[in-house]
Amino acid sequence: MTSSKNTSSTASVQAREGTVFDIGYQHYDGPREGRNRARLSVFKDGLKISLGLGRGVRAKILPWLFIGSLMLVGAGLAMAAITIDRIAGEGTAHTVGLPTHSDYYGIASIIMFIFAAISAPELLCPDRRDGVINLYLVRPLTGSDYIVSRWLAFMSVMLLIAWLPQIILMAGLTLGASDPADYLKDNWLDIPKFLGAGAAIATYSGTIALLVSGFTTRRAYASVFMVGLFTVSAPFTFGLAQELGGTAGKWLSMFNLSNIPMHVNDAIFGTTSGVTMDAPASAFDTWILVSWFFLWTLGPAALLWFRYRKLTP
Amino acid sequence: MEALLSVENLTKEYKGVVALNNVSFEVSDGITGILGENGAGKSTAIKIVLGLLQPTSGSAKILGVTASENIDIRSRLGYMPEHDCLPSNVTAAEFLTHMAELSGLPPSHARSRAADTLRHAGLFEERYRAMGGYSTGMKQRVKLAQALVHDPAIVLLDEPTAGLDPAGREEMLDLVRKTHREFGISILFSSHLMADVERTCDRIIVLRGGQVIQSGEVKSFTEETETVYIEVDTNKDSFIVALEQRSVAVTDAGLGIYVEGSDESVYDHVRDALVEAEAPLRRMGPRRRALTELFARDGDDFTDLPGGLES
Repeated sequence: MTSSKNTSSTASVQAREGTVFDIGYQHYDGPREGRNRARLSVFKDGLKISLGLGRGVRAKILPWLFIGSLMLVGAGLAMAAITIDRIAGEGTAHTVGLPTHSDYYGIASIIMFIFAAISAPELLCPDRRDGVINLYLVRPLTGSDYIVSRWLAFMSVMLLIAWLPQIILMAGLTLGASDPADYLKDNWLDIPKFLGAGAAIATYSGTIALLVSGFTTRRAYASVFMVGLFTVSAPFTFGLAQELGGTAGKWLSMFNLSNIPMHVNDAIFGTTSGVTMDAPASAFDTWILVSWFFLWTLGPAALLWFRYRKLTP
Repeated sequence: MEALLSVENLTKEYKGVVALNNVSFEVSDGITGILGENGAGKSTAIKIVLGLLQPTSGSAKILGVTASENIDIRSRLGYMPEHDCLPSNVTAAEFLTHMAELSGLPPSHARSRAADTLRHAGLFEERYRAMGGYSTGMKQRVKLAQALVHDPAIVLLDEPTAGLDPAGREEMLDLVRKTHREFGISILFSSHLMADVERTCDRIIVLRGGQVIQSGEVKSFTEETETVYIEVDTNKDSFIVALEQRSVAVTDAGLGIYVEGSDESVYDHVRDALVEAEAPLRRMGPRRRALTELFARDGDDFTDLPGGLES
């Protein structure tokens, strides 16, 4: 009996004691997914950097502060409309001209510009400053693959912050209406409109911010330059345009960088928002304003691609 | 033996400056060193091999293909650059996983390869620390690990011992040797330090001014000579006199002496001279040539010494 107990005890000790064997270096014989996997990896990494995912608390603070602020704007507008309608009767919010989908980007665009100015340099500057780009470009990945993947990642985040508050606003207004189905039936066209206008602001501000970041290794320089560009261009062009007047004034007003996507917003919703109301450029035909927007979005995109296309370590 | 890398008549000019001038060489299995001064064309040759630069003329094929025409081949190549290339706010485990994915490995495989490779590089315990806090030696090991994480067929190392102290340099050279001998990965090792190349490489290619001036097996450069090196504990001067009386050519080398002789009789003379001078023998053996003797430096240039093997 004792002997059996001892044997059992020894066996249990042996079972608990593990032995680590060094099996040496193992060659990899699993799948190799080549260039597409590399592109996807740069894209995923770009998303994580933009949103601070998988990084310390400090990296998360700024992006989520901006995302939270924008969602608060959307939720606040919805709450205000619902409250006024509940207190003063259905349709009062619309009658008193409470801001809605067409006005949202006029309020939120400045926050989006600042977000782009702060976040875009995080995606490009450290890779060149630390030399990590040298390791990207010696893998099955070209400079074009790298910059297109980074651009797509940043656009995804910019679209998220452009659309999410509008979706919250739409959901709030729909659920707050006395007959949500009727409200949705009457206003469903706002959905493609805010998606289109949001895409315009996101691609415009995101692309310019990435272009600026592509020419410096210092994040602070890129952010300050971008913010400066937008804040200086507005009063400078407005003042001069008023002074000059006529067609020259209208053309000068076109260089107000923060208004460029807002003219597209106006064209999509068929209204004039608060920020473009006094801009002489608003008098131009829609096709000129939309072409101007495409020039200022596709031009920087092409320059950015050209900058990275032939980049070598 | 089939060449893993073959360079034929490669020329690269930058706005009238010739970086590589009609260079040809082959790299097969093993550790091959490219030795040369800064500006000799080592990095240019590596960048052309990786397909990052287009040659002015000639061709460079790695694993049978031209990398600039088929960039997927880079998933079978590893590259360790000379300069800093590590982000400071990312952990080594996360960084290597990302690098493995960039080389085409699916995420789950990439994670396990990253952990394994960091273990082989001696960084397993430190893998969850941000790399900004690593020492220079640890950073060099991460740089090597990222070049190995996707299990390449050949890895190109650009000055892997740059900036390391003697202990770190020794560790890095050990890791380089282990990479070939235990992991079976062939290496092209670029350096301007002859001692590193001599101690690590099987073959050597010497570049100067964009041209190959020497190439061959390291052991053929460092073969035994007909010189015998002797050290004695005391009475060194008497020992030298006793040798000279026996018509043996002696060169004083400070701590020891060199004795020239091609036949066995020189050992008899040494024995007799040791007895006569009552000099206790400490060390005696045939001397091997060092690479540094073949490529003595003259200012900023390499100078061939007699006995060097012209390619």
